Amino acid sequence: MAWAALLLVLMLPALRSGPMTDTPYFLPATLMLAVALTVGHSTLRLRRHAEIAERKSLLSKTLYEFSRELSGALTATDVADATFAFLASAVGARNAHLIPPAEFAAPPFPVLATRLEACVEQARLNWEPLPDGALHALLPLAAASGTQGVLAFEAMPAVVSHPDFVEYIETVASLVAVALERSRFAEMARETEVRHASEVLRSSILGALSHDLRTPLAALVSMADTAALGKASPERQKRLLEAIRNQAMTICQQMMNLLDMAKLSSGRVELNRAWQPVDEVVGVVLTQIRGQWRDREISVDLPRNLPPVCIDAVLIERVLWNLLENAIKYAPADAPIELAVRQLGDRLEISVSDSGPGLPDGDAGRLFNLFQRGRQESDVAGVGLGLAISRSIVDAHEGEIGASNRLGGGACFYFTLPIGNPPDVLALG
Amino acid sequence: MSDDKTILLVEDERQMREAVATALECEGFAVCEAASASQAAVEAAARRPDVVILDLGLPDRDGIDFIRDYRAWSPTPILVLSARTQEKSKVEALDAGADDYLTKPFGIAELLARVRVLLRRGQAMPAAPEPKIRFGDYEINCVTRVVERAGEALHLTQIEYRLLVFLAANPGRVMTHHHLLTHIWGAKAADNHQYLRVYVGHLRQKIEASPACPRHILTEIGVGYRFEP
Repeated sequence: MAWAALLLVLMLPALRSGPMTDTPYFLPATLMLAVALTVGHSTLRLRRHAEIAERKSLLSKTLYEFSRELSGALTATDVADATFAFLASAVGARNAHLIPPAEFAAPPFPVLATRLEACVEQARLNWEPLPDGALHALLPLAAASGTQGVLAFEAMPAVVSHPDFVEYIETVASLVAVALERSRFAEMARETEVRHASEVLRSSILGALSHDLRTPLAALVSMADTAALGKASPERQKRLLEAIRNQAMTICQQMMNLLDMAKLSSGRVELNRAWQPVDEVVGVVLTQIRGQWRDREISVDLPRNLPPVCIDAVLIERVLWNLLENAIKYAPADAPIELAVRQLGDRLEISVSDSGPGLPDGDAGRLFNLFQRGRQESDVAGVGLGLAISRSIVDAHEGEIGASNRLGGGACFYFTLPIGNPPDVLALG
Repeated sequence: MSDDKTILLVEDERQMREAVATALECEGFAVCEAASASQAAVEAAARRPDVVILDLGLPDRDGIDFIRDYRAWSPTPILVLSARTQEKSKVEALDAGADDYLTKPFGIAELLARVRVLLRRGQAMPAAPEPKIRFGDYEINCVTRVVERAGEALHLTQIEYRLLVFLAANPGRVMTHHHLLTHIWGAKAADNHQYLRVYVGHLRQKIEASPACPRHILTEIGVGYRFEP
């Protein structure tokens, strides 16, 4: 249009001056004007089309990027954060927040419940002027399974009044709604899974408690009653009392295992890691084991100058204790037990081998599952927690735990610990 | 021999208190019992016990607060009893001034042995301090700063010497990492447990016959070290 106007302005003086009107130039001049006007107009239209196309392509590019970002958001909070950031950069939105369906009845200030309700019902963008000249917008997020919430934000009237704004913002709304719906379904699936797992855990714990703890407790009561009768010979009396003590200690240990497992599997365990030589843990466990099983022979292969490891010593001590205790309990009393530590590349491997009956047939990894015992009807006390606890602890240290049969007979349980980069403390005076 | 020794037993659980009190009485100790921290404070002031056995989980106050208050006026050795879930409070109790700890469930024989060690330390304290410390084949002369094994001088670095003397001067007592670090290296080193582990490792190489199964410098996992003469 501007072109045509320019042409007109240029030609007007000529038109007014007169001589053109009565000359044969009049016709071509008029023709030229008409052509100029038409060309000018089409150029303008084309340009506008090009501009619109360019803007649309830019908009759809930003929308595409936004939808890609949303597909990476796993939780409703992630979705909301990505949306707020997007609205702020794309339409200059301020104070954006998401009102979830649970808050529809009592929406946060300054949104009124009636306005919100009407907006959700119409499923359309709704805005109200604010005292400072901006507009307060409510954008319902409708998805296939219902409204996922309402986005509230403030924007400038210049942005909102743009002819493409409504279409654009409603596209955004549908993207966000789908992302929210997906995150909600994922959340539900996760919850169901967790509920199922804890159901399984609970029933296994009940099973373990009723079978593996009730039996020794019953024996405990009988032994205490017998001792209380006072008719047994002093020698037998003493033996009874010793048996009561051992039995109680065993039950106590099993309770501790159960509690540890509950703590470990709830994921609330914080590793108290520190750099230390593994010798220290080995030494402490050996002292304890030798205190409890005086006549068990345990050979130790502990090379000097092993690199330190960054571990929670209290927990690694439990692992080593569990492996040694298992070897002592399951291998015949006269079978020697070997404890060895060696460096394998960037890991330290600690292994406990015996020359007992070896592992039961089948998958050795199964042994590390909760409440799994090598032999179901075994006279060895335990509820099948030791190895599961050990695995949780070693996993938390980014190590590996496993078991295999030895070539010459017997079983070998091992775990590895990453060595990492210990701080240089030798430089200290 | 233990007739004249009084033990203050602070434990809120009645059965536990009875069992421990009976065992102590059978060993000839006089036992005064308290079921709460406030009762314990009164008994401690009135009876002046030779050793205090303190359960950390008390109904009225935190056992650690009791230790801090008690330490303000009495050096009497304290043996702490803790449940296994109280790993942290165990270290706190030792840092607050407790001398040793036992984790429940514990054997009565172990408890009696610990009490005897604490009593011996309590007795040794008021006597004029001797500038020589002896354990096993070793003799530390604190004046000449020479450590000898069976008459033969041992080469120790400055820090190793200080660590050994500090440990050996407190036999039977659990020394927390924090306590050892601040004493040997100063307050700045208090959190650098790896210093301590490295030097304890060196010291063990020099004085233990089998460093992996130490006899003198024992590790209390997650807590610190204990020196056994």
